[in-house]
Amino acid sequence: MPSLFLDGVTVRYDGKAGPAVQRAALTVSTGDFVILTGRSGCGKTTLLNVAAGLVAPSSGEVRVDGRAIVAPGADRAVVFQNDALFPWLSVRDNVAFALRMAGIAERQRHERADALLALVRLDGVGDKAVWELSGGMRQRVGLARALAAQPNFLLLDEPLGALDALTRERMQTLLLDLWASAEAGFLMVTHGIEEALLLGTRVVVMAPDPGRIVHEIRLDFGRRYAAGEPVRSIKADPDFVSARADLADMIFQGEPA
Amino acid sequence: MTLATEARSRPLHDIRRAEAGPDALSVPWSRPVAPRRKAVSTARRVSALTVLALLAVWALAAALHLVSPVFLPSPAAVLVKFATVATVGFADATLLQHAISSLVRVFVALAAALAVGIPVGLAIGLSPVGRGIFDPLLEFLRPIPPLAYLPLIIIWFGIGEPSKILVIAIAMLAPIALSTAAGVKGASQERLNAARALGASRLQVILHVMLPSATPSILTGLRIALGAGWTTLVAAELIAATRGLGFMIQSAAQFLVTDVVIMGIFVIAAIAFVLEFVIRRIEAALVPWAGKD
Repeated sequence: MPSLFLDGVTVRYDGKAGPAVQRAALTVSTGDFVILTGRSGCGKTTLLNVAAGLVAPSSGEVRVDGRAIVAPGADRAVVFQNDALFPWLSVRDNVAFALRMAGIAERQRHERADALLALVRLDGVGDKAVWELSGGMRQRVGLARALAAQPNFLLLDEPLGALDALTRERMQTLLLDLWASAEAGFLMVTHGIEEALLLGTRVVVMAPDPGRIVHEIRLDFGRRYAAGEPVRSIKADPDFVSARADLADMIFQGEPA
Repeated sequence: MTLATEARSRPLHDIRRAEAGPDALSVPWSRPVAPRRKAVSTARRVSALTVLALLAVWALAAALHLVSPVFLPSPAAVLVKFATVATVGFADATLLQHAISSLVRVFVALAAALAVGIPVGLAIGLSPVGRGIFDPLLEFLRPIPPLAYLPLIIIWFGIGEPSKILVIAIAMLAPIALSTAAGVKGASQERLNAARALGASRLQVILHVMLPSATPSILTGLRIALGAGWTTLVAAELIAATRGLGFMIQSAAQFLVTDVVIMGIFVIAAIAFVLEFVIRRIEAALVPWAGKD
């Protein structure tokens, strides 16, 4: 089972006084759904980009199974907040992008892309242009595109941040379904407290100035959903309600009121 | 954009009217906005009137012999000349042959300018070394009027066809290269990151993300270049040409055949208009996503 280790990662940006992330340590293994959350400017997106290999740490390192990571790779696919789809490609070719880069033949690419579109409940839109789709549909195309690479780790940077509340709830259960069926470790940045609790097997709370990890909690609400319990009953559980209050306290701890 | 939003919101409006009756609409803030389309057609109508008025002044001036017909032939005379040159020809070639010679020169020059300009633009957009090499060269070339380097090109390359094409191509080079560079620099960082995270190599990122991202900008450059090339045409055809619209005007002017000069100007303008229209259609077909994303 592959594991992604962030070991004492510090990131300094040019021209900034303090580090964006200071000495952060984190492990994501297959089957984990790790949530990064915290107030704005706490470095959670930076940390995710370090895991992706898109930002090089100033000190510390990222390892996958003991191997140091220095560049992005298809084993760590990324889903972006603004979906970052390629508007010049059809929906199907967007999903098949990683397969095309890997030199897989067109017919196989298309078959696999159509299967993935069905997985994210977007059957039959393969031939459409991406700009014809709604925000929620685009984000699902982004998910299918990332999954096409059959990554060991799926890194999600506030993928639901720009969606309306109803779409967002539907996307949360879709993410849980994908997580339960995929053989991968998920690492996701979010601002949503309920979202963090519902999806995460572990929630990592960060705080700003300098960006650092301050808390880590373990949860099993997502597993309960995967075992068949409805979301509404999970959210009504007193454990969930008190966890929500606790997590809010952790996030806003030290916040000048 | 605004037009589309208005068009979409109108049915809603109508539904509300149907449900709540006209009174619901009498609140001042819900007064329907006048459609923007009307403003466009007003401008169109004024434009048409302006053109007609100018034609009338021209016809009147010619009819009253305010100016000698040698200098200002009547619109009718120009129209007749158009028919004559189109069938009989002028300066040993028909109008179509002149136009084709000019178009061939412009399009060969365009192909050459694209073949050089796009790689140069990529080099400027992708690497500081490329920018260091090509930026000063382009900035030097860009503001020079083609008539200024024409004599040098004749000295170096003679008076044959390559010289004419070269003059046009040089005029086209800067807009193509600079807009390619702008398109490459404007490629979204998130899309580049997405491609890298999906396993694309550096070359694949350039081919599959940067170039497509830059396509709308390249097409804009192409449109500007074609305009620049077409305006350079007359200058290029000053070099011992025997055919071409610029040559036709030039030789007509030497014999004071003013009606051919004026007719040639209109033909050049009409072709430029058609080219612009065609390129806009190509843009719509090739990059339908431009501006929607």
